[in-house]
Amino acid sequence: MDLIHPQSKAEVVDAVRRANGDRRRLLVVGGRRHLDKGNPTELDAELWTTQLDRLVAYEPAEMIVVAEAGMRVGELERILAAGGQEWPADAPDDATIGGVLAAGASSARRLKVGALRDTVLEAEIVTGDGRFVRSGARTVKNVTGYDLHKLVVGSLGTLGVIVQVALKVRPLPETRRTLRFASGPGIADAVLAAVPAAAAVLATADGIELRLEGWSAEVEEQAHAASGVAVPVDAKADDPFPGSRPWEERPVVAEVTVPPSRLAEVVPPDGWGALSGVGIAWCGLDSADGELTALRERTHAVGGIAPVVRGPGGLGDPPLPASEVQRRLKTAFDPNDVLAPGRGWGRL
Amino acid sequence: MADVEAARRALVEALGPDEVLSDPLALALYARDASLVEGACALVVFPRSVDDISACLRIAAEHGLPVVPRGSGTGLAGGATPIGDALVVVTSKMTRILEVRPQDRLAWVEPGLPNLDLANALRPYGFTFAPDPSSQQTSSIGGNVSTNAGGPHCLAYGVTSNHVLALDVVLPDGSVQRLGSESPEAAGYDLRAVLVGSEGTLGIVGGVCVRLTPLPSDVRTMLLDFEAVADCAATVSHVIASGVVPAAMEMMDHGIVVAAERFAHAGYPTDAAAILIVEVDGTPGAVEAQRRVVETAARTNRVREIRVAADEAERALIWKGRKNAFGAVAQIAPHYHLHDCVVPRSKLVEVLDGVYEIARRHDLIVTNVFHAGDGNLHPLLSFDRAVPGTLERVLRASDEIVRLCVDAGGALSGEHGIGLEKRDFMPLVFTAEDLSAQACLRSAFDPDGRMNPLKVLPDGARCGDFAMARGSVAAQAAADLPEGAWI
Repeated sequence: MDLIHPQSKAEVVDAVRRANGDRRRLLVVGGRRHLDKGNPTELDAELWTTQLDRLVAYEPAEMIVVAEAGMRVGELERILAAGGQEWPADAPDDATIGGVLAAGASSARRLKVGALRDTVLEAEIVTGDGRFVRSGARTVKNVTGYDLHKLVVGSLGTLGVIVQVALKVRPLPETRRTLRFASGPGIADAVLAAVPAAAAVLATADGIELRLEGWSAEVEEQAHAASGVAVPVDAKADDPFPGSRPWEERPVVAEVTVPPSRLAEVVPPDGWGALSGVGIAWCGLDSADGELTALRERTHAVGGIAPVVRGPGGLGDPPLPASEVQRRLKTAFDPNDVLAPGRGWGRL
Repeated sequence: MADVEAARRALVEALGPDEVLSDPLALALYARDASLVEGACALVVFPRSVDDISACLRIAAEHGLPVVPRGSGTGLAGGATPIGDALVVVTSKMTRILEVRPQDRLAWVEPGLPNLDLANALRPYGFTFAPDPSSQQTSSIGGNVSTNAGGPHCLAYGVTSNHVLALDVVLPDGSVQRLGSESPEAAGYDLRAVLVGSEGTLGIVGGVCVRLTPLPSDVRTMLLDFEAVADCAATVSHVIASGVVPAAMEMMDHGIVVAAERFAHAGYPTDAAAILIVEVDGTPGAVEAQRRVVETAARTNRVREIRVAADEAERALIWKGRKNAFGAVAQIAPHYHLHDCVVPRSKLVEVLDGVYEIARRHDLIVTNVFHAGDGNLHPLLSFDRAVPGTLERVLRASDEIVRLCVDAGGALSGEHGIGLEKRDFMPLVFTAEDLSAQACLRSAFDPDGRMNPLKVLPDGARCGDFAMARGSVAAQAAADLPEGAWI
């Protein structure tokens, strides 16, 4: 396997154009933290984005940061913290911004911070046929043309190489607190109803973690409202969230997404964590065999998906909406199939 | 060549005679939206279901008609202005709320439903639909989706694309596809995300699955007034830099304050250089914490007076002046032309000064009311079209305002879209390669260039070997473009 380490955006363009000439299949690689998500596919070379790690612009009063896509999430976190802000990816420190986005990864605090894809305001992309394309703008609102920068989020590196992004960031909360309840997952909905604007309500087979973030007085009020539902066994300030991740104790982790009210009927007996009001559950499995197949059958039946995010197992084959349009997009941006052909949804 | 009469007969058969209009008066009514651009169309239809929309698109394809989707026609960029032999598909008879599922934090609605009707219907459940464009009494959810609409409260809550989970879309070939999902993530490329804001050029939205936002338990609305525009703008940046993202932060300059006060009697200080409406929401504790930060920022920047709405009636009054600002300017002159460029917050004062200077040079009246927190300007040029030479001066001034915003690092549109009005400005912000990639995206949905041709992308934007127009529908529409339809 050849490794390509472009030092600049121009070198990314060159590398992709050469791959088109030689018909070599490339896997775009950042921090290697999200590579398990995607279908297994044959490859000739890895294109590393990690040398593209410059900070381009950051002005806290604009609430926007512009950085090259190979910058590590931990580095970005440090830069933003100095401005009292955060990009709520909640990804490992050594993951890259581009990797998090290409994988369509999700934060455990999505209930409050929203989908990560909504933070992408502008992107520079090298398409599969070697075009250097910019989409979007460095403003928080923008309806100027088609949003290619949104199309590449979650595209698993099959349409283009994300080389730079402008991200909408948010103020760091004044106070963070996690309340743990020993009662079973049954009270998750009641806790969410009591604190509808919580940062997260994470249910596991053993109990519930309620994450509160905001102004100190607000967190007090929310904690009080939650204690009307059940008495927490403990409350910790500024702890990492989630405190317990039972799914990570298993070799295979699937990320189930379903309508929130269907979470309870799809998760396995144990080794899972589910986000109430959001509809995401991380499910730990012992293997990618029958257990995964059964989980996917349950998930697909209620209109959801269950890609594996750690270990083998790929994406599964749920119905692909507008499959003709999806195929035409892949052909338009990667006509020679150089960007990990087969890795994406629908084996695109 | 389009066969309009054959298409009319097929549409009458599919939808019934009451839902198909072809008389000249009706066609004239639907020949424009709320922009200054006027076009022409061949047929107007009113589908009542997704199946009806599908039939319209199949018939249009069969008979070679371009298709222009239309909601309530409140668009300001000419996105719903038809051209040539267009079939205008109006969703105004599809206004039902199909289901509300609070436990899934979602609701399914038809595209013609007015924005405010949805917000009102969700209130008893303790939720709202966050986007609230100023046109919300009239503008439809489908139209909001097509322009990725914003509104005062998208500062904290985000624009329409953040609040759309799924769309039932009829593609140009008449097939119905669900893009996105009731689940937080869907398989495949995120077609939902690109459909939002695509101005009716990729397909017609037949159903919208919106995300519900919990209503805050408390809200406080403040009216701040300043003797200098620069102090008002500095307060905006100061608040954001202090870690507060208010629910809304709206700025109005002296001219618009005077007009709005005469119209709405909201108690605005008519001697202020600029006023700022700031709304903070959340739990009572969150509201109090944010209010303190806002007041400190305002006092640091020489605020003259801070008025806090004491109750819901006072709050409604403060907002009444703002939300009716565009109606109020009718007192200044019979016509207005409005841009909605977005600039970095730090450039607000510089760009505003430039806008005043441009208006002075062209001898035009300009007033400004805008989403200051987002940097989303709305310079409003008031004029009387009947005075010879005025429209030309307005258009020259508009051109200069757009270039000023782009030079400041801005975007052409924050919420109104590109439509016809701004498509020829696209090369100011995008390279030929950027535009070719956008054309590729469009072609993937609409290989024949049938959907809302000539909108958004300028002439010459092509996707490699895909010909945008395929020499047929769009080219014919271009030939039919009436004189002076462009601005």
